Amino acid sequence: MLGGRFLELITAIKGRRAVRRFREEPISLEHLKKILEAGIWAPSGSNIQAWEFILVTDKENIEKIKLISPGLFDNPQALIVLCINKKRAEKGGRLGENTALMDISMAAQNMMLLAYSLGIGSCPVVSFNKTAIRELLNIPEHVDPVLILSFGYPKFWPKAPRRRPLKEVVHVEEYGKHFEG
Amino acid sequence: MKSMESILKDKHFQLLAFLITSARGCVDEPKLYGPLRLLDAASRLIDIMEDEGKSNDEILKLKELIEENIDVLMYDEEEFIRLLDELAKQLAKIIKNQKT
Ligand SMILES: Cc1cc2nc3c(=O)[nH]c(=O)nc-3n(C[C@H](O)[C@H](O)[C@H](O)COP(=O)(O)O)c2cc1C
Repeated sequence: MLGGRFLELITAIKGRRAVRRFREEPISLEHLKKILEAGIWAPSGSNIQAWEFILVTDKENIEKIKLISPGLFDNPQALIVLCINKKRAEKGGRLGENTALMDISMAAQNMMLLAYSLGIGSCPVVSFNKTAIRELLNIPEHVDPVLILSFGYPKFWPKAPRRRPLKEVVHVEEYGKHFEG
Repeated sequence: MKSMESILKDKHFQLLAFLITSARGCVDEPKLYGPLRLLDAASRLIDIMEDEGKSNDEILKLKELIEENIDVLMYDEEEFIRLLDELAKQLAKIIKNQKT
């Protein structure tokens, strides 16, 4: 029997959208803290947690980051810049940075789902200028900004872009034997 | 000289920053992000033209068409390319109807 928590979770997973149009309504610090907390509870390879999150809510700072981020749309109320701490990632051996990128992706998804559960829209943004954001936010050499998450109450929830079907994506027991379930 | 605060709000400067960072982005990003950034820049330019009283209804219609469809690339690449053709057609109509 599927119900309760499963339904809530799958509804959030399927309902979350990349939101690119926001209302002019601030997000409370309490909610931002919940979002950040969801981030640090993501899994990470060897529990190394080689991540650093920079929270930006100051309007002028957001404006400045927008100037150097062609993929960041509209006027979000908050940004979280997710970075890899390369010194910490070294603990993960030669694969450390690669693993850290996976860890950060999981933290990002946690944050976006938590935001969605609070009615807050988000968008992952990789189209920003790394050199410029380093300069703007005083990010040290050993810290690498890899993803921005923008947050705000959505003007509307966009329609869902198409997903490749399970049948095409899933292989059963060996590659090429497609899922028929 | 403009003060720094006013330059951040200056739409010409915003377009300049967008163009420079987009140029760098285009080196590494998917091919169709180039046209996407150019369209975004075109829409920003129309905004500036409007502020300066250099726009008209036909040009504003181009901007509407861009804004309504700017995220269509995420849904349908072919549709996005059709939009580029449609914009070129509308632009040609504007040009054709002008007297020099
Ligand atoms: C790693 C990553 C980077 C992305 N970068 C951008 C970006 O720079 N700008 C943007 O508007 N959307 C960006 N997106 C959002 C995707 O376009 C979006 O997730 C995708 O079209 C699916 O739509 P959905 O999230 O609403 O399901 C990014 C998504 C991911 C996962």
